[in-house]
Amino acid sequence: MSQLATFIQQQRHTKSILLMTHVIYGYPDIASSLQMMGTILQKGVAILEVQFPFSDPVADGPTITDACHQALQNQPKLGQCITDISQLAAQFPSSRVLLMSYLNPLLQYGFDALATDMAAHISGVIIPDLPIDQHTMLAPLVAANVDPIWLMIPDMQQSRIDFVAAKARGMLYCVSRKGVTGQGAGSQRAKQQLHDYLDAIKASTQVPLALGFGISTAEQVSELIGVVDIAVVGSALLRAFQAQGLAGFSAKIDELMSVS
Amino acid sequence: MNDTGYFGQYGGSFIPEILYSSQQQLLKHYRQAMADPDFIAQVKREMQQYSGRPTPLTHCANLSAQIGGAQIYLKREDLNHSGAHKMNNVIGQGLLAKRMGKKRVIAETGAGQHGVATALISARLGFECTIYMGAHDIARQYPNVFWMKQLGATVVPVTSGSQTLKDALDEALRDWTASYEDTHYLIGTSCGCEPFPEMVAGFQSVIGEEVKEQAMAQIGAMPDKIYACVGGGSNACGIFLPFVGTDTELVGIEAGGRGDGVGEHAKRFHTDQAKFGISQGFASMFIQDDQGQLAPTHSISAGLDYVGVSPILADLSDRGLVRMTSAGDSEVLAAFKTLMKAEGIIAALESSHAIAGGLREAAELDSSQNIVINVSGRGDKDIFTIAKALEDQPFNDFLRSYLEEGQ
Repeated sequence: MSQLATFIQQQRHTKSILLMTHVIYGYPDIASSLQMMGTILQKGVAILEVQFPFSDPVADGPTITDACHQALQNQPKLGQCITDISQLAAQFPSSRVLLMSYLNPLLQYGFDALATDMAAHISGVIIPDLPIDQHTMLAPLVAANVDPIWLMIPDMQQSRIDFVAAKARGMLYCVSRKGVTGQGAGSQRAKQQLHDYLDAIKASTQVPLALGFGISTAEQVSELIGVVDIAVVGSALLRAFQAQGLAGFSAKIDELMSVS
Repeated sequence: MNDTGYFGQYGGSFIPEILYSSQQQLLKHYRQAMADPDFIAQVKREMQQYSGRPTPLTHCANLSAQIGGAQIYLKREDLNHSGAHKMNNVIGQGLLAKRMGKKRVIAETGAGQHGVATALISARLGFECTIYMGAHDIARQYPNVFWMKQLGATVVPVTSGSQTLKDALDEALRDWTASYEDTHYLIGTSCGCEPFPEMVAGFQSVIGEEVKEQAMAQIGAMPDKIYACVGGGSNACGIFLPFVGTDTELVGIEAGGRGDGVGEHAKRFHTDQAKFGISQGFASMFIQDDQGQLAPTHSISAGLDYVGVSPILADLSDRGLVRMTSAGDSEVLAAFKTLMKAEGIIAALESSHAIAGGLREAAELDSSQNIVINVSGRGDKDIFTIAKALEDQPFNDFLRSYLEEGQ
């Protein structure tokens, strides 16, 4: 069994829901982004998702896209990013660190090199523009126990769910709705559809489920208790940082962590 | 899309999972439509009756004599309705979207030619239409934006990233991830995930098919060489594909810009600034830095500054079936003027790259040889850029008095 999945299941013995929060490496600058990551880990967030910025983040909405473009002004290097976040992961062994990026920066680095450099401390990788059909590209990561974390979306056909479920390792990242990151959640009817969609996935796999897109408050996180294992908060934390700096960011994590 | 949609190592489908089912739906309908003689006839009829096809093949006696080499012929895609080859593709995809029952189309545009063509076909076929266009391009090509709006399209300025075509494409993809149920993404060039490269190149291949017939009728032989400018690559694919594997040499001309430095050109071939990459839904040659970040580009023509290139052309280049070269901004302007004065044809700056490449090589050829240059679009839209480049002071005076009169 995947080390990440085991970690999540052990954590869930004592916590009703886990939190996964997101930081863009290099935004607003590399040092500050590392400080934000340190804050997240110090506060005991279970999973830290670090986005290595890409020039053309097609699955991200305006908040994260603009922040990625600003981060690129600082010329972040993927090799240094992995080194930096590996150090953090080593420093906080009771949490897990995932790398998220788009395909091209990872492709240029090379999946063999990524597997070698990530194996010690990084538990998984999320690549929103890599469809499951291309899973063999990530074989070196799987061999190194770095889990590819696949995305699930609403309206997936059962055969497609089964196809992804068969390849699932560590956790599945379920997108709550169509569209890009950073937009609000929907109506009561939308919530029922969400439950139906997650039930269909649960019927196909034992792998822990994370839900993301549109989760911004502690109330929303608490609503997910018993529904999924992990609530993912991305754009909302970024907006808190943009509004009130590190203090606002820190307060937002405290708010989210009050649920568990 | 497993192992389909590839051209050698290029192409494929690299899209977020959210787009999977709409892509599958498009693929299914596209295959069905292309196997339906009624659909093919409908596309052909619309190309004739709405866009004015076939476009002529024009012999340039003056220009040929002036250059003193091969006989120069122009394929006149500038005479399409909307003034560019872009119309061929929007007719095909527009009719397909109609067949699929879509209510809305979205498109990205660089120079604005594809945006205008999409807005035109949307008006004719009754689609709601949204065009994504980089804010920099809007500033360069406002007259096209004006017409899109007049035609009823919503033009969304894209202010993220480099604010050019690639960012407009990103934004259109984001729209599609939320709107795919009732919306067709009408990609303007032979890039993107399967089946877009094949589909766009297919609808554009009418250009090369016509050249074959016209060359036999007018020259009595196939052309020795064909020249086309290469941005995303749709006009080049269109004129080249029917000739792949024949004795006709196919030459693509990229935007050489103002120099070889990063951000000074838009060359995807013959430069170490471009290499194999995967982005915007497909694998191809992309201009990028050592971290895999897509790099800034420049061209005097807004329609040639795309950071990637059609996977079909990347593969044909690898296989030696298409030869890629480039022309810089100043050579392009000179070629633009030479053609205009010799033959009375105002070509788009994009197409003037092909003219520059063709004129450069025509001089080396024998007068018994024949070349065809694809004039992908007309140059009226470039009046502001060209007037500026030619430092035409009276044009500035005109603009000043135009503004003063309006007050």
